[in-house]
Amino acid sequence: MKKFISLFYALVLFAGFTTVAKAADPIRIPVLNWSSQIVMANVMAQAFEELGYDVELVPAESATRYEAVRVGELHVAHETWQSTMAKPFYEAMDKGGLIDAGSHLAPTLEDMGVPQWVIDENLCPGLPNWEALKSPECQANFATPDSEGKGRWLEGPYEWHTDVMPNRLKGLGLDDQWMVKFAGSADALWAELAAAKKEGRGTVIFNWTPNFTDAEGFVFIEFPPFYQGCRIEDGGSVETTGCGSPIGWLKKAAHIKFPITHTSAYKFYTKMEFTSGNIGEMANYVDNGGMTHAEAATAYIANNRDQIDLFMK
Amino acid sequence: MDKNYLETIRNSKPAQFGILIFIFLILYFLIPQSENNYLWRLPSVLKGIPLAINNVIFNALYEWFPLKVWDPVFEMYEEKAAFREFTKAVSQGLLFLITVVRELLLGGDKIIDVFVSDSWLKENDWLSWPALPWTATTVGAFLLGYQLNGIRLGLLGGIGALYISVFGNYVPSIQTLSFVLITTPICFVLGLSFGIWGYLDKKVETALQPVLNVMQTMPQFAYLVPIIALFGLGDHAGSIATIIIATPPMIRNTILGLKRISPEVVEAGLMSGCTKPQLLFKVLIPAARRDILNGVNTVIMQCLAMVVIASFVGAKGLGLNLKIALNSLKIGKAAEAGLCIVIIAVILDRFTKAWADKQKDYFENLTFFQRYKLLIIFAISVVIFSIIAFISGGYFDKINYLYVIPIEKGLTIAHYIDGAVDWVWETFFYSLNSFNKFLLTQVLGPMKHAYLGMPVIATFTLAMGAAYIVGNARTALIVGGMLLFIALSEYWDRALITMYMGSFAVIMASLNGIILGSIFGRTERGGRILLSFCDFFETFPSFVYLIPVIFLFNITDTSVLIAAIVYATVPATRYTVWGLKSVPLSLHEAGTMSGVSAFQRWTNIEIPIAFPTVMLGVNQTVVFSLQMVILGALIGTEDLGQIIFGALSRTKDGAGVALTLGIFVSLIAICVDVIVRNWAEERKKALGLA
Amino acid sequence: MSPTISCDSVYKIFGANANKLLADSNGSVDAKQFQEAGCIVGVNNASFDVEKGEMLVVMGLSGSGKSTLLRCISRLTDATAGKILVDGEDICLMNNKQLVELRREKMGMVFQNFALLPHKTVIENIAFPLQVKGVSTENSMYKALEMVELVGLKGRENYFPRELSGGQQQRVGIARSLAVEPDIWFLDEPFSALDPLIRKEMQDEFLRLQGVLNKTIMFVTHDFDEALRLADRIAIMKDGIIEQLDTPGNIVLNPATDYVKKFTEDVPREKVLKIESIMDPKDTNASDNLKVSKDDIIESVAEKILNSKEIIKVIDPKDSSEVGSINPSKVIKVLFGG
Ligand SMILES: Nc1ncnc2c1ncn2[C@@H]1O[C@H](COP(=O)(O)OP(=O)(O)OP(=O)(O)O)[C@@H](O)[C@H]1O
Ligand SMILES: [Mg+2]
Repeated sequence: MKKFISLFYALVLFAGFTTVAKAADPIRIPVLNWSSQIVMANVMAQAFEELGYDVELVPAESATRYEAVRVGELHVAHETWQSTMAKPFYEAMDKGGLIDAGSHLAPTLEDMGVPQWVIDENLCPGLPNWEALKSPECQANFATPDSEGKGRWLEGPYEWHTDVMPNRLKGLGLDDQWMVKFAGSADALWAELAAAKKEGRGTVIFNWTPNFTDAEGFVFIEFPPFYQGCRIEDGGSVETTGCGSPIGWLKKAAHIKFPITHTSAYKFYTKMEFTSGNIGEMANYVDNGGMTHAEAATAYIANNRDQIDLFMK
Repeated sequence: MDKNYLETIRNSKPAQFGILIFIFLILYFLIPQSENNYLWRLPSVLKGIPLAINNVIFNALYEWFPLKVWDPVFEMYEEKAAFREFTKAVSQGLLFLITVVRELLLGGDKIIDVFVSDSWLKENDWLSWPALPWTATTVGAFLLGYQLNGIRLGLLGGIGALYISVFGNYVPSIQTLSFVLITTPICFVLGLSFGIWGYLDKKVETALQPVLNVMQTMPQFAYLVPIIALFGLGDHAGSIATIIIATPPMIRNTILGLKRISPEVVEAGLMSGCTKPQLLFKVLIPAARRDILNGVNTVIMQCLAMVVIASFVGAKGLGLNLKIALNSLKIGKAAEAGLCIVIIAVILDRFTKAWADKQKDYFENLTFFQRYKLLIIFAISVVIFSIIAFISGGYFDKINYLYVIPIEKGLTIAHYIDGAVDWVWETFFYSLNSFNKFLLTQVLGPMKHAYLGMPVIATFTLAMGAAYIVGNARTALIVGGMLLFIALSEYWDRALITMYMGSFAVIMASLNGIILGSIFGRTERGGRILLSFCDFFETFPSFVYLIPVIFLFNITDTSVLIAAIVYATVPATRYTVWGLKSVPLSLHEAGTMSGVSAFQRWTNIEIPIAFPTVMLGVNQTVVFSLQMVILGALIGTEDLGQIIFGALSRTKDGAGVALTLGIFVSLIAICVDVIVRNWAEERKKALGLA
Repeated sequence: MSPTISCDSVYKIFGANANKLLADSNGSVDAKQFQEAGCIVGVNNASFDVEKGEMLVVMGLSGSGKSTLLRCISRLTDATAGKILVDGEDICLMNNKQLVELRREKMGMVFQNFALLPHKTVIENIAFPLQVKGVSTENSMYKALEMVELVGLKGRENYFPRELSGGQQQRVGIARSLAVEPDIWFLDEPFSALDPLIRKEMQDEFLRLQGVLNKTIMFVTHDFDEALRLADRIAIMKDGIIEQLDTPGNIVLNPATDYVKKFTEDVPREKVLKIESIMDPKDTNASDNLKVSKDDIIESVAEKILNSKEIIKVIDPKDSSEVGSINPSKVIKVLFGG
């Protein structure tokens, strides 16, 4: 027992010394829990390795990774969605330690919508125009036991956009017919989609594209167009806050020292701009092709060698 | 006459409770609902607390006691806080240990990298520790089990490892295993040390109690951000998060066990000429073995129960795979990963128990070969299987199945699990749906409104009154003080929702557990099977069944509560079984001789005697329920948990908010604990068990 | 040669402010007064010596402080005041290391409630003191096995204490205390859990051992018969005070206090007294026909003596030398009183 304990301490000390002595840090890339993100992480990993770096893929959490990038625990956060992640992204940048490494080419759309079958079965005649939501028949099709007779919008977790959706209902004058329920996680959103499909009932739900749900068909509701300042938190008023979501960016974040510690990797990273098609391809290898994430990355690189070479130059 | 009346009340607790509830109801209906009425809601004067806590943390992290550290990148001295440098060193050590175990089994060159220069390693890329083929690991697991406790345990180990390998989960399982193999001993050593310290020094024990309470009841998500800030991301961070929750039960069990040792045994040790360390390691710790082993069991179960959450802060292995599978609704695949977690938990638990029970035979006269027979067989099988794996490498479609079976090529029962989920849905959905509607509109909805409609003065009267009746004025003040802290914050309403869900889950889980435990726990066999189920549901990640539950019950409070009840039934059941086991045989015999019916035996003998133990179970049920209710934020709730989760992404003050609300949850749990514990103590005294 | 154990005004008072109370009392401690002050008197002003090879039996009612006295001398508890010398060394001044050494080399103890280590088997319990001393596993196990045989537990070496009866557990305790072959042996009611047959057997075995090993022994018992069979001297305690410390004969014949008298009243003297205690000096008239040993219990030879009707020679069994004589009238007086 005593021997075991002293051995333990010796090991800890030893490890402390040796690891401190090593200067060359592997590049740490976060792995989250959706396919395109993980495949992209693997694409980057393989590219960085080609450039001669050591790479480590680190399991992480979408919400906490900006703090991790900020303190240098991660070097990059390569899929940053405007609507859901802009807040922590900018907060971390304000606090120092995180820099903006540009955007992907893919435009993103994140908004409330309905699955294709809702349209097909005409559960809410007039959709995707938002005015259809005004009809009581439509609203009744989206009521749940805990919604007190109102129709229910299932929004993502509260911290994603805080009060944007409740405000939008107010702005559109729909708030006595509809209510917003916040799901706890993306998983819960997908579970609701699947559950609604099984039951054949309607659901109005927050979603984004590109996403794996695109395959099943998803229709975004067409709200009054977004313009800068329409939302209450940007200086808008109740009348204007009914506006929809903007076409958003997909950003890349990096740790502040990344450009210096891993210069050519950073260069690659800033140039790396994927399109929606690229991202869809990455996800597709895994979701429908049955590949592992690493295999999908290899396949992607093989298939898009020119593009990767361009990023590497 | 009057005096008599007072006397009756003084002696009758039910009467006191009756009066308390009467007062409570009067307050409930009399106090008007108004923002400016302090009897209705207290002002949020403690609004600043989260930010203050946040500042303290960040001071400690980034400013307190700065050291000048040379930064080779920017080529200048940088000021770094000593505390964080210290935690970083701890992280490095932990990570190194985990990596050692991992590479021993899975191969790699990180450990070799420590001893040689980077460039040299790159030039010699043949230099890498080879991975153990899964075949050899399986044989090893079998032999180890066989060595520890014969063929049955051997089969458990062997079949478990075989399942894991053949189903393609070998690599993530070993990753998880290496994480657990390092974390468990650390919890063990820490728990034992603090337990001993607490045993030796009464003051330390008193000081430890509240700290342990908070550590155990604080929702894990509340401290994930500080952990990332302090320890970074990776297996070590997951390990730290696990240590926080898994060490307290070890400490408690150690103290309990040591206290139970009769002083004469200690004296016998002294008279045998033990030095202080000998007394500790050869007398005290072994004599407290039973309780310490209970602690070890809890540690192992908690470590594996934490695997998924550990993956939130960077732990590799099954937890991560499970999370990825769930995100695309692959329930079957996630369940398979969950099953591997359970298998690892069960194997580790049974192996450690057998190891601790193993008796030495001092007079066996064995040759070298006899003594190390199994080790030699293992060594030979490693060599043989490695050779086979080497030869057959590339024989089948480029994948070396005899080395490691990759996940997408392994066998799978995911289809059947998905099928089973579908079947359950198709068979039960419509009846459950109407039940769900009924539950939500007739029970849960009104209950929630009742809680939210409670004037703050009524809540305090009820809680403090109950504490006073079962305890004394001091108990009442403690409970009141803790609640006041929450009531003065802006989160009181959310706390009420947490309380509503928590109390519903606790009541249902306790009922379930006590009934299940009483029905199956009366026979040895039934009890054992039931306890195995408990092991299963404690370690099987609840994340997996949250999704099917959402299918059935939608994103509603019902889903959250069902998950909480399933999880929290575990301790209630377990302690009921343990409690029934503790009923002395002589009492059973006495009962039989007095001709009691089965039901009378239950109500008159078993339940009263088992009561204190059952109450301990209820106490744990409170902890488990609250943990799950908070985790319910992943489904969607409007309580404290929602804010705690939300705070994960708030860089500005997230750490402070999460910690503050986490402490609120702890306080709720501790209040219940104080009341329940006092009640149990009193019952114990009444039964002459104290 | 100095006595093996020597106690000088030893006090043991339990309670928070024991030291202060004791200092104020100037050495005269009243149990009742102390109790009112919240202290319990365990040992009150004990002064005595135990010579090498002597067996001192300690008796007294429950709670009279017998175990506490033993604990003080083995320093399992620190005496509140007084001086305790073991082989001339003050054990109260010993540091931890010296104490460990002392216990390892010199002392053995059998506990009232067995105090077996619950996690160790019979053989491991017995080997335990040897192992902590650093004796190799093999040697300690063989030694322990010897002890197992000695106490008649062969075949149960691998049982755990919980699988043994009370008497069997006590025998393990005895074997354990003997394993290191201590010079000083403390036994706290070692035979009380044994059935009469085994007890007799163990007593005989004990006497035989003592004859061979010649240890210094302090032995606590409630059983006067046992005390008389074994003791060289007996100490009788009451409320922590040693009321009388004397040879068995003197205790029975000349009780110092009423308490001691009460204690010895019902004891049939012929059963307990040795010839030695009633013999007269050498007498030239003594008959040569019959000789009795000075160690014989009166009862066992009474018939012989009475039948002979003469003065009889008393001899020392060791060397058969004449040491005294005995008159049958003395035996009659013991048997029938008066
Ligand atoms: N640790 C202790 N703390 C306080 N009081 C004690 C302690 N140990 C013993 N006593 C008290 O000291 C007195 C003497 O106890 P002791 O155990 O020596 O009695 P004893 O003569 O051995 O009795 P028995 O024949 O029942 O074994 C008792 O009144 C007991 O209550
Ligand atoms: Mg005693």
